[in-house]
Amino acid sequence: MNPWIAIGALAVVGIGIPIGMMAVSSLLRPSVPEQGKSATYESGEIPTGTARIQFNIQYYMVALLFVVFDIETVLIFPWTVIYRSALEQGVSLGAVLTPMLVFVGILVVGLLWAWRNGAVEWVKSPRATRRKTERQS
Amino acid sequence: MVGAFDFVPAIVLLPFFSFLVALFLGKYMPKGGALAGITATAGSLLLSIWTVLTVAGFTGTATTYQQTLYTWAGGMEGTPLPYELTFGLLIDPLSSMMLLIVTLVAFLVHVFSLGYMNDEGETGLPRYYAGLGLFSASMLGFVVADNLLMAFMFFELVGLCSYLLIGFWFREEAPPSAAKKAFLVTRFGDYFFLIGVVAVFATFGTAAFAGDGSFPALAEAALAGEGGGDVNTLFGLDPQAWFTVVGLLVLGGVVGKSAQFPLHTWLPDAMEGPTPVSALIHAATMVAAGVYLVARMYGFYALTPTTLAIIAFVGGFTALFAATMGVVKREIKQVLAYSTISQYGYMMLALGSGGYIAATFHLMTHAFFKALLFLGAGSVIIAMHHNENMWDMGGLKDRMPTTYYTFLAGSLALAGIFPFSGFWSKDEVLYEALVHGLGGSPLLLAAWAMGLLAVFFTGFYTFRMVFLTFHGKPRTDTARNPHGVRWNVKGPLAVLAVLAVVAGFINMVPVAKLTGLEIEFLHDWLAHGPSGLTSEHYSELTHDYANYSVGTLVGGELGTALISGAVSLGLALAGAGLAYSLYNVPEPVEHTDRLGSAKDVLFNNYYQDEYQVWLANDVARGISRGADKFDQGVVDGVVNGISSVSLLSGSRVRRIQTGVVSNYAALLTLGLVALLVILGLQGGWFV
Amino acid sequence: MTAPAAFAGLTALASPMQMGQLPDWTALAPVLILAVTGLVLLLIDSIDADTTNSALLAGVSTLGAAAALAATAWSLATGVGQDGGAITLFADALVVDGMSLFFTAIFTSVVVMVTIASYDYLRDHKHQGEFYSLVLFAASGMALMASANSLATVLVSLELASLPSYVLVAYLKENRGSVEAGLKYFLIGALSAAVFTFGISLVYAATGSLIFADIAEALSGGEFVGIAGLGVLMVAGGFAFKTASVPFHFWAPEAYEGAPAPVSAFLSSASKAAGFAVAFRVFVEAFPLATIPEGINWVLAFQILAVVTMTLGNFAAATQENVKRMLAYSSIGHAGYALIGLAALSAGGSANGNVLGASMAHLFVYGFMNTGAFLFIAMVERWGVGRTFEDYNGLATQAPVACVAMSVFMFSLAGLPPFGGFFSKYFLFFEAIENGFWWLAAIGALNSVLSLFYYSRVVRAMWFEDPSGSFELGSQPVGLYAAVMIAAVGTVLLLPGFPPVIETAQTVAGTLFA
Repeated sequence: MNPWIAIGALAVVGIGIPIGMMAVSSLLRPSVPEQGKSATYESGEIPTGTARIQFNIQYYMVALLFVVFDIETVLIFPWTVIYRSALEQGVSLGAVLTPMLVFVGILVVGLLWAWRNGAVEWVKSPRATRRKTERQS
Repeated sequence: MVGAFDFVPAIVLLPFFSFLVALFLGKYMPKGGALAGITATAGSLLLSIWTVLTVAGFTGTATTYQQTLYTWAGGMEGTPLPYELTFGLLIDPLSSMMLLIVTLVAFLVHVFSLGYMNDEGETGLPRYYAGLGLFSASMLGFVVADNLLMAFMFFELVGLCSYLLIGFWFREEAPPSAAKKAFLVTRFGDYFFLIGVVAVFATFGTAAFAGDGSFPALAEAALAGEGGGDVNTLFGLDPQAWFTVVGLLVLGGVVGKSAQFPLHTWLPDAMEGPTPVSALIHAATMVAAGVYLVARMYGFYALTPTTLAIIAFVGGFTALFAATMGVVKREIKQVLAYSTISQYGYMMLALGSGGYIAATFHLMTHAFFKALLFLGAGSVIIAMHHNENMWDMGGLKDRMPTTYYTFLAGSLALAGIFPFSGFWSKDEVLYEALVHGLGGSPLLLAAWAMGLLAVFFTGFYTFRMVFLTFHGKPRTDTARNPHGVRWNVKGPLAVLAVLAVVAGFINMVPVAKLTGLEIEFLHDWLAHGPSGLTSEHYSELTHDYANYSVGTLVGGELGTALISGAVSLGLALAGAGLAYSLYNVPEPVEHTDRLGSAKDVLFNNYYQDEYQVWLANDVARGISRGADKFDQGVVDGVVNGISSVSLLSGSRVRRIQTGVVSNYAALLTLGLVALLVILGLQGGWFV
Repeated sequence: MTAPAAFAGLTALASPMQMGQLPDWTALAPVLILAVTGLVLLLIDSIDADTTNSALLAGVSTLGAAAALAATAWSLATGVGQDGGAITLFADALVVDGMSLFFTAIFTSVVVMVTIASYDYLRDHKHQGEFYSLVLFAASGMALMASANSLATVLVSLELASLPSYVLVAYLKENRGSVEAGLKYFLIGALSAAVFTFGISLVYAATGSLIFADIAEALSGGEFVGIAGLGVLMVAGGFAFKTASVPFHFWAPEAYEGAPAPVSAFLSSASKAAGFAVAFRVFVEAFPLATIPEGINWVLAFQILAVVTMTLGNFAAATQENVKRMLAYSSIGHAGYALIGLAALSAGGSANGNVLGASMAHLFVYGFMNTGAFLFIAMVERWGVGRTFEDYNGLATQAPVACVAMSVFMFSLAGLPPFGGFFSKYFLFFEAIENGFWWLAAIGALNSVLSLFYYSRVVRAMWFEDPSGSFELGSQPVGLYAAVMIAAVGTVLLLPGFPPVIETAQTVAGTLFA
């Protein structure tokens, strides 16, 4: 028997369960639409204006830095897993440690540069500052 | 050890430097650069003498010299060019002798030019001397060339210089036109020569004249059945036939430069140039180049009897043909011009009939006496205030005795009167043609007959010229009070006159045969040298491949030699005697009317110019028109069509680049899909 | 990856093998030098943020590139990766051999010229540190591309070369053209990278490996021809993007025109050569004609690409009014010529190595002449002369030396005899004929004739036309002049110096087929 059939079956089950749950709940629940329910969920804040606005570039900067360190973690993780067993099997410390130190060092240089060039400073936009002062007064 | 051969390049370079000096500094120098030219050619002359002495063995053992100086193309690894194109030197008896002749005549012409150009107050002298220098340098480069391609390049330079010098007085009407004609007519021949050079390269892969790997040696090996695989014949011809074709192609250049029938028409017109230039052209450089080329690669021509026969026949015919035209000319230089054509005909006759030594001999004696005659004519022209018409002269004998006696010596040599140099050389030419003709090549007898007949005409026109110019009573005021000439005219004349008298003594074949003395110096001279370039080798070749053998009349070789000499001397004297009776009178008159209708034919040079003009104008122009139509309509049409299609499609292509990035993405994807479909269908991915 | 393989990868860095005195990883010296220089530049920029000390930045980057060039030349001269066979590193992910060094020499030479020229070009701009470090990072990416021996490394190094390039094109932030070009370049690049990655995944699906040699072996089994063929074609598409071949070329005219001229020079010479470097290796090593199933006829794809690319590039170049854009299209045309290196291959063809080598030599010469031409444009932009042919009228009266250099570039690009471009093109066409593809050579020759038309327009404008206005050239940019002169001298010296170049190229290319 083709082993792929099991995977297909799993996919069918995986898709079927959420669809089934949603279908059942829509049959069981009462339907009382009101404004609060149809509003976009924004962590408790009341959404204002349209979503199609220019975001501050700072969001992307932070996001990029986050992605960089995320990937760093992903790459460090398997290294830590084999680190000890590699040493036990007789690979020299330098051979095991140097590549990772170089890798982290490169990222440090990048972070340093980004830091010095103001990527992590939260620059206040003129509009936000104006709003804040308006609210305070 | 530094020997003469180390200075051979200097022989060529010295006149070249004088060309540069005259060209760039001439106007700041006294005499317009003449002194630089004289110094340079004198230096070349001395070096040539040293070279000849070295080759002859006076400075040690007799040696020859072959050296490749510079490889300017080919030999590069990985390139598809299998040939090496080089510049090199080849000094053997033939080329060293030619060096001597050319440098001597060039030197004397430079000296003479002081009298002819400077003293006459000509302008543009730096240009003139620059031309002379380059002319000498090109000819010397041609002489020492060790391969056909280098020879061709200098051959072309010689042609260019002749163009520059013949057209020296470019403000007048006739000289530029004559220069153009000389250039174009010789160019026509050179065209075949160029194809011949390419053919030699394609056939043998080399164009060297001497050595085991030279093309004459390869050709000989191929015909002898050894190493025939090394030569590539074209068009499926067998080697013999193909070599004949190659030889004839190269001969095209020879016929053009050496003014042989039918490409001789430029030479009489070239008389428009300054007379010293005419002397240089006709005696030692340009015209001699053709004959020298045949002699240089004689080892190749000797293998192809057909070519030899054509050379002999063309030579004999030209000798007679030009001589008949010379008898009616009025201008002194015109007579000399036709005599030049005729004399080179003799050399070709000799070469064609296996008389390599005779041809070389005549080349040498002719260089001396023809230079002498031209310079003498130049002297007369100075005296006559640049009137060249002989009918306006007369009686100059008493007023310019130096010129007269030297000119007379040259004329006796030209007419072939015993014991002047021309007699010995012309006699040997005719003797060679006769014995080889008798020895089983009847075609040569016809050529010989024409050559023999030409002797009579030669004697006649030569002495007609002498008598009309120098004898009788002066017919014009200028002839009564001629302009004097100075040492710089008389000096060269004297030197050349001595040579014209004695040069024949180096090779007195009949005397040698008669007395048994070893006095055939030129024979010995040309018999040594690099193997394959000796006269003995050549006579073996002509014997083996052209079946030239010696036949005799009564009395064996001696008797034949004496009979031949006596006959030609008799004819020459007869011609001279006729001239004497007709023109050595106080008041000579034209006798041309007695020739009847032949007169017009002769005056118009057998309508050679006319038919060539007709060929050039009507036939060639017609073809050219057709070609032009084709070019304008078909070729240009296609080209223009392509260019407008290109530009149109170019702007279409431009329109694809819309600037909208989503269009790009769409086109990119479409392109990829198209490729996918093509490759998929072709590779059967979808089945 | 199993544990022992991982160890092998780790130990490759530090364990010296018996190869002279030097450990194997030093063979990567050029790449390392380039990358370290880029990091050093970042450090300099971190210490003194927003520095405008052009001399320091340009100096460091030029020194770094020159050191990399020297290391490459030394390696080539001493036979690293050639005499003892190719050096493979990191479990066969990278390989250093004659070809990778040959291409690294091209990249580093171009980087040297570009950094020297940028010294003047960037004088009044901000963010110079970033510019130079991006150039060097891109260059190290290109050098890695030339050394890549597995499709994974190919993808990573290709992106390492591409991402800085996008930013470099958009470097002139205040200039709409530059930003627009950068964005278009990025979008098309992203699309192409998607195609390319998809292709790699298909090849992996069909063969189960990313290492070239293993792919070749798996393909010779003749399974999954359809999937593998689709993958091969999409991989080819990725390279077509990098080399600006039709139909993946759309970004090129806009990017070259909008980018700062030194960046255009860098992209059109080095980046293109990098694309060819990796394409040559992938197609010769991973998809060898000798063993690949008949259904995957990638030579046909490259023949189509080559013909369409050179024809379209040259035809479009002929109608341009803007000199820089004309050069952009001519660069596409040259990509078409270089593609002959792949298009004229045949299974067991006797001259395969020679064709490929001739194409490499052409890219080498092209690196000099094309960089020089774009740097001349940079100089003209610096002078503030306009961009069209008319604006160039009579330029020779003001700047004769530079115009001589530009004429050399133009004639060399057109392939006229006395310059390096003639020989490289001649050999390319000649070897194509030798390998039996006379029609490719004929189309190439026809296109060369057409190209003479638009190249000579530049020369005519500079030398023979009367100036339409008066010139105020002002300053003499020393760095730009020097860079243009280096390129010109290189182009001229490649005439006598061509035999060693073609010999090296054909030797190292020949070993790929061995």
